[in-house]
Amino acid sequence: MSDNYKFDTLSLHAGHSPDKETGSRAVPIYQTTSYVFKDTEEAAALYNMEIGGHLYSRISNPTVAALEQRLAALEGGVSAIACSSGMAAMHLVVTALCSSGDHIVASSKMYGANINLLQHTMPRFGVTTEFVNPNDPDAIEKAIKPNTKMVFGEVIGNPGLDIMDVPTIAKICKKKGIPLVLDATFNTPFLMQPFNHGANIIIHSLTKWLGGHGIAIGGAIVNGGNFDWGDKEKFPTISGDHFALGGISFWEEFGPAALTMKIRAEGMYNFGPSLSPTNAFYLMQGIETLPLRMKKHMENTHKLLSFLQDHDLVEWVKHPDLETHPDHLVAKKILPKGSGSVIVFGIKGGRKAGQTFIESVQLASHLANVGDAKTLLIHPGSTTHSHLSAKAMKLSGLTEDMIRLSVGLEDIDDIKKDFEKGFRAVSKLMK
Amino acid sequence: MFINFKGAKTYINTGGKNIDVDKTTLCFIHGSGQNHLSFVQQSRYFANKEYSVIVPDLPGHGFSEGVPCVSIKENAEWIYDLVKELKLNDIVYLGHSQGCLTGLELNKNYPKLLKGIIFIAGSNTIPVNQFLIDLASNDFHKAYRMMVTWGHGKDGAMFTGNIPGHSHFGEGFNIMNMNNEKTLKIDLEACNKYDGGTDAAQKIKIPTLAVLAKFDQMTPLKSGKKFIDLLDNCELKILDCGHFLQAERPKELNTFISSYLRKLN
Ligand SMILES: Cc1ncc(COP(=O)(O)O)c(C=O)c1O
Repeated sequence: MSDNYKFDTLSLHAGHSPDKETGSRAVPIYQTTSYVFKDTEEAAALYNMEIGGHLYSRISNPTVAALEQRLAALEGGVSAIACSSGMAAMHLVVTALCSSGDHIVASSKMYGANINLLQHTMPRFGVTTEFVNPNDPDAIEKAIKPNTKMVFGEVIGNPGLDIMDVPTIAKICKKKGIPLVLDATFNTPFLMQPFNHGANIIIHSLTKWLGGHGIAIGGAIVNGGNFDWGDKEKFPTISGDHFALGGISFWEEFGPAALTMKIRAEGMYNFGPSLSPTNAFYLMQGIETLPLRMKKHMENTHKLLSFLQDHDLVEWVKHPDLETHPDHLVAKKILPKGSGSVIVFGIKGGRKAGQTFIESVQLASHLANVGDAKTLLIHPGSTTHSHLSAKAMKLSGLTEDMIRLSVGLEDIDDIKKDFEKGFRAVSKLMK
Repeated sequence: MFINFKGAKTYINTGGKNIDVDKTTLCFIHGSGQNHLSFVQQSRYFANKEYSVIVPDLPGHGFSEGVPCVSIKENAEWIYDLVKELKLNDIVYLGHSQGCLTGLELNKNYPKLLKGIIFIAGSNTIPVNQFLIDLASNDFHKAYRMMVTWGHGKDGAMFTGNIPGHSHFGEGFNIMNMNNEKTLKIDLEACNKYDGGTDAAQKIKIPTLAVLAKFDQMTPLKSGKKFIDLLDNCELKILDCGHFLQAERPKELNTFISSYLRKLN
């Protein structure tokens, strides 16, 4: 009908056109659990997934579907599933692909809960993981075994900000016939679209920059539709017989969309981590301004990087856009618009100085989140990553003095002034 | 199911059920550059009713290997041989776009084979402009993106869809991208060259159903209506969508198909 719309336009419109009856311009919040069937024939067809439509909001909902379609459009994927959190998305993918006896290769430098799920929870169900350095493609290739069902990592690692060389790792995965699953929370489709670099499945915590306002927890799995699941022995959960729906093969019946349909039919149906329609609406409101916000996030991040680098009390600053970052060249190649708005840094005086700094700033909020429109700070060692063992903490690149800063959209002068307040408190401490 | 047919690995979707030769078999034939997935909301829907369903991937399309058929006549012969191989005898043919031309040719050459024909977004001629044919061979990805973009009505451009979480565009691009890159140009040329449609349409003796789309830019409504005028006993239905009406208006289309089949039996 029309030519393909560009990213900014899709951020505002994709997944929805005004409904014919009311003309509602905004996506309506379909605050309902269930949908009246036209007749018994339609009910049976919906239950059996023979035809599109909604039957119960644990499985799908029109407001949530608009969000899913918007995400799939922004990532250039075939389809998507939105769910109750980023962790729910991760769990849904792992359980869709892996069964007892299967194996995962994952980055050792990731968000604490991503590591914990794979290191401690999944082994209880017979799924084991080998953790490898995300920027060591050879190690990733060597770790792949005949029972490996996915390679997993964060494009930009939380909180160490290691960058995965996605094109190189995607080539390895393709050669080995293993899907590359990436957590793209820190980059969002605005900074980088992993499918264009060969990734196969994307996981998002929508809680962060996509939602962008710190008001709703949500997650999503976007399906690239670019992986061949045809090997029944290797991927029985996708191309083998499903336990319901008449024993169909999702791969044969749904082709590129097979993974999404599998997760809908099993994960959403049996585990039930559904996203509320109201939260889907909030998250979509956020996505409408994603391009504007990401530009400003990156602008403020770059200004704050210079500020911190020049500051006497800053021991070190780490960000992939800095030439000193070990993954700077990879970042430049795959994240040309910038490597996200999280900065990690250490203050002279170590852990105590860091605590004083966090407690002395006023504008920046001390809390457990990233990707809010507001500036946020935390000490990962004692909070987000505190459940990690000392060994895992070292492997994930965490140091005692590390402060994680999520740069917000405030006026940069005000953020700097606020930080000066924190630094003054630190220098008093040091006297 | 996968079978070895004419020496090539060939995929025939059966809507998740086994073929039952005692039932009426609905034979769905996809259009240019498509495959069985263009009938994703019809195959299982009808296989779970009182019908047997086959939706083959033509050679070089979807999961089927083999050398693509270069003309509409070759496609019709391939389908004739396939239904004989599968020992089907009570057949209703459903074609989409190029599949309609193939249905016309099949019925002309084997007038006793089919009990009914359903033409979806069809016509007796499907001229294809040279620009698109050239693009299909020079830049496959651009060509199919263009076809999917043109092929959907207003709903498509905004990535809306009726399978939750899927959009018409997302599905459309990926379905076409599954095929062997060489097949799109071959299909488009086969459509463009085919000139037997008028004669074949006039020879149809069986009752037919045609479902056309108001905003079809690939086989325009005007051309579809002229085609219907050639048919003796055709019921016409028009839907307010684009060329891919099986994806855009599945419920309405399935209702039309069901009611036609009930009258036929
Ligand atoms: C990279 C990354 N992935 C996943 C998650 C989990 O997301 P959620 O809190 O939405 O479950 C987080 C949360 O901090 C994260 O930073």
